[in-house]
Amino acid sequence: MNRTKILGIYEDHEVLLEALDKVQSKGFKVKDVFSPFPIHEVWEKLDLHTRIPYATFIYGASGTAMTFAFLYWSSVVNYPLKFGGKPLNTLSFVIIMFVLTILVGTIMTFLTLLWRQRLYPGRKVEMPDPRTVDDKFALVIEKTDDLDDKKMEELNTLLKETGAIEIKESNVQYYEK
Amino acid sequence: MYNTRVRGVLIKGNKSYSQVTKDILEPLYAPKAPTWWKISAFVATVALLLGAWAIYVTISTGIGTWGLNNNVAWGWAIINFVWWIGIGHAGTAFSIFLLIVRQKWRTSINRAAEAMTIFAVMAAGLFPLIHMGRIWDGFFIFPYWNTRGPLWDNFNSPLFWDVTAISTYLTASFLFWYVGMIPDFAIIREQAASKLRRKIYGILSFGWLGNAKGWLRFETAALLMGGMAAPLVVSVHSIVSMDFSVSVIPGWHTTIFPPYFVIGAIFSGFGMVLTLTIIMRKLYKFNDYITDGHLDAVARILTFISLIMGTAYLTELFMAWYSGSEYELFTFMKNRVTGDYTFAYWTMLTCNAIIPQLFWFKKIRKNITAVFIISIFINIGMWFERYVIVVTSLSKDFLPSGWAMYKPTFIEISIYIGTLGLFVLGVLLFFRYVPMIAIHEVKHVLKETSTDPSFAENNSEKH
Repeated sequence: MNRTKILGIYEDHEVLLEALDKVQSKGFKVKDVFSPFPIHEVWEKLDLHTRIPYATFIYGASGTAMTFAFLYWSSVVNYPLKFGGKPLNTLSFVIIMFVLTILVGTIMTFLTLLWRQRLYPGRKVEMPDPRTVDDKFALVIEKTDDLDDKKMEELNTLLKETGAIEIKESNVQYYEK
Repeated sequence: MYNTRVRGVLIKGNKSYSQVTKDILEPLYAPKAPTWWKISAFVATVALLLGAWAIYVTISTGIGTWGLNNNVAWGWAIINFVWWIGIGHAGTAFSIFLLIVRQKWRTSINRAAEAMTIFAVMAAGLFPLIHMGRIWDGFFIFPYWNTRGPLWDNFNSPLFWDVTAISTYLTASFLFWYVGMIPDFAIIREQAASKLRRKIYGILSFGWLGNAKGWLRFETAALLMGGMAAPLVVSVHSIVSMDFSVSVIPGWHTTIFPPYFVIGAIFSGFGMVLTLTIIMRKLYKFNDYITDGHLDAVARILTFISLIMGTAYLTELFMAWYSGSEYELFTFMKNRVTGDYTFAYWTMLTCNAIIPQLFWFKKIRKNITAVFIISIFINIGMWFERYVIVVTSLSKDFLPSGWAMYKPTFIEISIYIGTLGLFVLGVLLFFRYVPMIAIHEVKHVLKETSTDPSFAENNSEKH
């Protein structure tokens, strides 16, 4: 469910990382971070993982297998025809298998990225804070029910103390997973 | 452990993040293209039209309009094909190899190098297609369910491998290039002043947000796609070399060909990157992003590759003698080093193995005009290398009664000019409509490599 979110806007990624630490250590759950470029430490701190590498391995392996199956079937089973005195099932199949492994792996990895991230041509999105594509970094904290006024006060001071240049609330909905 | 800080400042001028965005997107936001852009685009279009006309003549009349004969059945078309494919190796070589060896200076150049790859491979792919003669039967190359058996392709033929390798290379490079551009398109979507631009780049940005999980998936996928494309750089040109080395023609039938072709491809690719980035830097004043240090780094790599090229040329000569094959020895000594094609051979040797050695001198590496001229020499030298390989071996093979000389016709030259037009026009469109430098990648390396004052003072002059 999408709730109202509290955004702490920062101007530097190192300041943001320190703030992230402090906010987390005070028991607030940081939902997300928006940044103009990938920050590896954020992934560790938010405990984010992706299974794309496993998927890629499976794509590649099945690409190899399918290519070999097709080459074997077409050259040995379906229409056996000798070329240049070479055996029907030859070692040189390796070359096409190698190349097609990469082709299948690349295309499928690309599509997986689009699918997992719900990206497609023409998708309309609204960003919680559009400045994060350029030079701002946003710390996103979900406004859950247990955030009473006292806790909100504490969070606001905390964000300010850690160097947020702006604190705002946003109702923008976006795909979070 | 990986923080090698030998390169000095990567991005000059103590830029802020928003300044980086502004600088790189400025040419894209400009309401009108500069005059030089319009003139070049016009010239490139004329060249492209000339090429299109020549292709029309080739297809409507036949391959007979070319200067090919029974002996020299492969001429300019194959030379240009291999030349363009070689140039097309730079993008991936830049992005991937330098990513693997953690060379952060790649970030300013890789987008342009990848764009160059796409257009060069497109130009290259054109040649085998029209060389088939009956282009309308071109689909025969694909293994489709046909009514002749079904009779499948010969999967042991290097020519089939070639088709597979090059179409894979084009697809993989394009996808890799596009993935890298998605976050940059999102910047234009959010910031552009014109509504139309917001809309178009909004469509292209695929709804990119830039949240933590998105970046994690983005970087993982980009790394994986890059990692898979890396062996492709090696395999594509190895496979192209097998078009030659699997045959029994003297001068082609050698085991040195795959590594020799791969190195040659990376050499010509880096040469073209140098040519292009110097032009780009000059015209768009990207001196803070593509610094002298960047060009210096490329020049150093070229020096090293040039040495390998020289070694390969000498190895070929040595093997021609050591193999004891009189045909090999004839091809190399009587038809390349001396003989009818002396000019091509020595141009190749001078441009590829000797002139780039000038990069040993720091003064020359620092002189951008000199670097630019040498990069042009490399492009020319690599073209002549393919000329030497393709033409000399074919023109005089085993039977002296069958010897023939080869001269290209106007049609062949026009097709080549046409592909040059295609390439230049593609690059110009890239200059105008795409962020020329990977903005998010530059921002990623910005802080640690340019605004740290202690580092900048201590290391900028120590190379």
